[in-house]
Amino acid sequence: MRFLIVDDSSTMRRIIINTLNKLGHKDCYEAANGREGLERLAAATVDMIITDWNMPEMTGVEFIRAVRASESTRGLPVLMVTTNAAQDDIVEAMRAGVNNYVVKPFTPDTIREKIESALEG
Amino acid sequence: MDIPREIVANLIRATTDVFETMVLKRIDLIDPAKEIPPRAGSQVAATVGFTGHRCGAVVFHAGADVAREIAGALLAMPAAEVNGEMADAIGEVTNMIAGTLRTRMASLEPAWAIAVPTVTIGSDFVTRYATDAARVLCAFDMEGQGIQVELILNRQ
Ligand SMILES: [Mg+2]
Repeated sequence: MRFLIVDDSSTMRRIIINTLNKLGHKDCYEAANGREGLERLAAATVDMIITDWNMPEMTGVEFIRAVRASESTRGLPVLMVTTNAAQDDIVEAMRAGVNNYVVKPFTPDTIREKIESALEG
Repeated sequence: MDIPREIVANLIRATTDVFETMVLKRIDLIDPAKEIPPRAGSQVAATVGFTGHRCGAVVFHAGADVAREIAGALLAMPAAEVNGEMADAIGEVTNMIAGTLRTRMASLEPAWAIAVPTVTIGSDFVTRYATDAARVLCAFDMEGQGIQVELILNRQ
């Protein structure tokens, strides 16, 4: 399984990748914003996307809309990891095409469970 | 202009949540002071601005050693090995505090739009604010070391 982690914080990417490594997933691509994420997807195939929302250049929601609009990436599972947890945020993210949601700050158990349940489909 | 009490209470809760859940360190509130004490120990300041229904910023202050310790705890690495990672880690801690505050306040009023963090590292900087901005500084004890979270609200 190959993952794409999109977050402007290298710290948050490292925390998520550490969690994935512990789950036995060593194959992770990184991108610092939605635009870089789309470039990654154009160059390589992945099995799942984990993305932040608040990022410069292209936000997570804009990124997911682009992912859902493209034939080759339309069906990819997307997990959003964000502090944006107001009712309207969750509605907006789900409309954009997010499959699963993790609210920051999160415990190691929470992120692990959400990744596992997203992988189960 | 006074800062509404529920914003300060939610800022304290947001900060405590972030530290206990992700940094895995207990922090205790010392005093939410209206009078801003000197911050001789502040060498790292991370700012996350917000706008919309309210306009202002959340600023996180810590000494360099404390900031390195926080980064190490987040990244699961020894504090002594933390170097280039520190600024991003403190920026993300501040992002999580501001974002959690935004979410908490969104149940009471229209949600704010928050910006991405900026981090300043140095030893001799002074920050000046617009005279009509209201400020509150919350000081915490983190296992014997001091950290501070400041909220600035601009008059609109
Ligand atoms: Mg971010």
